Amino acid sequence: MIDGIRVIDFHGHVGRWERFGMNDNPKLMLHAMDAVGIDVSCLFHIFHPDGTTGNDLAAKFIAQHPDRFVGFAYVSPTMPERMLPELERAIDELHFRAIKLYPPYTPWPFNQTPWHPIYTFADERGLTIIFHTDHLENNRPRYLEDIAPMYPDANFVAGHSGNVPEARAEAIAAVQKYPNVYLETCSTYRMPGVIEELVEKGGKDRVLFGSDVPLMDPRPQIGKIITARISDEAKRLALGGNAERLLGI
Amino acid sequence: MSSLSFSPRIPVIDANVCVGNHYTEPSPCQSQAQLIDEMGYHGIDRAVIYHAQTEEISPTDGNRLLDDWLDEGGRLIPQWSVTPTTDSLTQIQAMHHEDRVRSVRLHNAQSAGLPFRSWGYDNLLSWLSEAGIPLWIPLMDVDPHDLITTLQAYPDLKTVLLGAHYTHALLVRPMLDSLANASLELSRYEPIGEVESLKRQFGASRLIYGSWYPRYAMGPILFYLHHTDLNEDELRMVCAGNVERILGI
Repeated sequence: MIDGIRVIDFHGHVGRWERFGMNDNPKLMLHAMDAVGIDVSCLFHIFHPDGTTGNDLAAKFIAQHPDRFVGFAYVSPTMPERMLPELERAIDELHFRAIKLYPPYTPWPFNQTPWHPIYTFADERGLTIIFHTDHLENNRPRYLEDIAPMYPDANFVAGHSGNVPEARAEAIAAVQKYPNVYLETCSTYRMPGVIEELVEKGGKDRVLFGSDVPLMDPRPQIGKIITARISDEAKRLALGGNAERLLGI
Repeated sequence: MSSLSFSPRIPVIDANVCVGNHYTEPSPCQSQAQLIDEMGYHGIDRAVIYHAQTEEISPTDGNRLLDDWLDEGGRLIPQWSVTPTTDSLTQIQAMHHEDRVRSVRLHNAQSAGLPFRSWGYDNLLSWLSEAGIPLWIPLMDVDPHDLITTLQAYPDLKTVLLGAHYTHALLVRPMLDSLANASLELSRYEPIGEVESLKRQFGASRLIYGSWYPRYAMGPILFYLHHTDLNEDELRMVCAGNVERILGI
């Protein structure tokens, strides 16, 4: 809790990735969250293309601290027959609140047809989808302009807000055009002025704090928001208000 | 616990700040006054600065440009860049005679075409070691095996290893183990819990706050350090004391 706000980290992982120091030790994660007042972290497991294996691991992890972690469902169009049944299971039975998609682990840019059954599902349910976005071919934020108007009852989040300036400009342009597109903040590219740019150009009601925990420690990532030259109201919305609204929690 | 605003509670030296325009990209910070303002906003008292032109174009020319950035109040501490040419070493040695050299910086040991090995760098490293001048080295610029084996031949040379990233997660511990006189600058190092873990293993005396502004914002890592298990003495060491000791200021 910071200044009366329930702080929600919109971008986190379950799983280990030792070569990068990623360790989903809940004690480590909760210690870092508690040190800076993060109440809830949204988590997903992206390392299994069937979806089921990772979603079950995420559910088991989250069940240890259900008041601190929220699950997002992961599926991949590389196993298309599994996508919709697994999404139904993850949302209806595991009670995950949103969907995470990771185009780098597929052959397709995320505006192409293999992804669209997922968007239809999200649109019918009024769910939010967060994508990994950056400057590489599969992950360009400009694809949000193709899908956002086709699925107006779904919400779409540009994870990392594109990471680098060129892709960030695409993410901001999509937010400016469509009311169901959002910007998420985690990135190792912590250039000065980025949070200010997202708030100024995207709008304070469209920015979501994320950290990439436990690939990254959430403390410097939330530090980007706290130390940015933006209003307290914009900080409150980015830290929790916008995520509460999107997730209905 | 956090609030919506942050100021450091101790004196701070930013050990890694770049000034001037990179040849491919104008800096968001165009003047000494702007830099001082940015430091003031984040509560940073002093900064170790080098010139962007020294990175890939010319250490000797860049060092001349750095003079224009220095302030009368001494808040900006010059760091001169060096490369293994006679002209460069002569320039640094001349400034050393004028008592103007507190540290030097070596860029692009790898891409400049001269591997970082004793047969290529002995003149420089022997002189720095004898003169007691510490050396800052960006990790992405040098082969890790060369870095460790070469520096082990100069055990009295103090080094500050810059810009460790989560992609260096497996390298950091054996590197600090192998180089007793090396410290780790933290501008990009975000694997979860690592500041506390490295402190426990190597001691706070081996860790140094730097931002690498303007590549990265000044505030997030400083915020992070204030929300760790570092006690007040350790925080003072990491945020200023260690770099004061290394620079002899």
